[in-house]
Amino acid sequence: MKAWKEFIKGIWDENPVFRMLMGMCPTLAVTNAAINGLAMGLATAFVLFCANIIVAMVKRFIPNEVRIPSYIIIIATFVTIADLFLAAYFPEIHKVLGLFIPLIVVNCLILGRAEGFASKNNVAYSALDALGMGIGFTFALTLLGIVREFMGMGSIFNVSVAGQNFTEWVIFVLPPGAFLTLGIMLWIINSFSKKKMEESHCH
Amino acid sequence: MAKGVKLILVLGLISLFSGVVLAKTYEITSPTMREVAMKNQQKAIFEVLPQIKEYKEFQNEAGMLIYEGLDSDKKVTGLAFIAEGGGFQGTIRMMVGLNLKTKKITGYKVLEHLETPGLGARITEDSFKKQFSAKSWDDPFAVGKDIVPITGATISSKAVSEILKGSVAKVLEVYGGEQQ
Repeated sequence: MKAWKEFIKGIWDENPVFRMLMGMCPTLAVTNAAINGLAMGLATAFVLFCANIIVAMVKRFIPNEVRIPSYIIIIATFVTIADLFLAAYFPEIHKVLGLFIPLIVVNCLILGRAEGFASKNNVAYSALDALGMGIGFTFALTLLGIVREFMGMGSIFNVSVAGQNFTEWVIFVLPPGAFLTLGIMLWIINSFSKKKMEESHCH
Repeated sequence: MAKGVKLILVLGLISLFSGVVLAKTYEITSPTMREVAMKNQQKAIFEVLPQIKEYKEFQNEAGMLIYEGLDSDKKVTGLAFIAEGGGFQGTIRMMVGLNLKTKKITGYKVLEHLETPGLGARITEDSFKKQFSAKSWDDPFAVGKDIVPITGATISSKAVSEILKGSVAKVLEVYGGEQQ
């Protein structure tokens, strides 16, 4: 029961993007097309999963004073592994994400889960927490990407869906469009659910 | 004192471990990465010179590497070369093809770039690229005049135009002298 709760909370109740507003940099920067949002979400989920497990495993040996630098090194290692493997075996995806992969290191979601969850819970719960959070993050980024790509280019996943007469709102694929889309989505989501955002805190 | 030593030891160990893991990963992936880069380059030559059957390398005294495209009669009909220049966020590297008979650019293929995904990165898309193919190399290549820039990415569009304009002139200078 507890295991299920640790997993499911990241997908909606404590969704990293819509509820906790964590990892805003990639959320705003790469979601100008659905495929970019999906790929970034998956890469982040991979790093989150590995980092959470390792942090939960070694937390007993790390003195309190150096825990943040230690977590950063662990996270950076997995980011570089993901970067190298993508470059070698999935050059197409790597080409799309390029610059944003190294930036996963400074995603506050990953450090936040390592510090806020994995350093206080066992390996199994940390893995489930990372899975749920990873899926929630991927879901949010893909949703933002779909909305922005549709509004800005009239297509979804590079498939044209809007008719000939559709006027593209180019602002939606530009940086201001990220803020507009996220703001409007948060407004819609918050007005549907009465729940206050008390438990939201970014470490 | 003892506390400080422990902190240094733990961080050192973690860094050492991370270094070993990364070195190993790099060792595993680097041959594949080199292969991918080689294959991309080869593919790019045939892509920018669609009329050729094979190519051979040509190097002048200055060390500039040019690929000569040969048709089925082993005659040089086109040239391909790598052009580099500054983009919006980093260097743009691309393979450029020239048709010697028609004196036109046959196309370019971006090998490496760091432009913004969804904006500047669209320099790799056909809708932008096709403006340059079938363009005579004497054309001005000016954004806003004979080149329509990508929306929201004027700097990237300008960079591509300028890299093409500059490098074509340089290659023709080097290679043209050799031919006559």
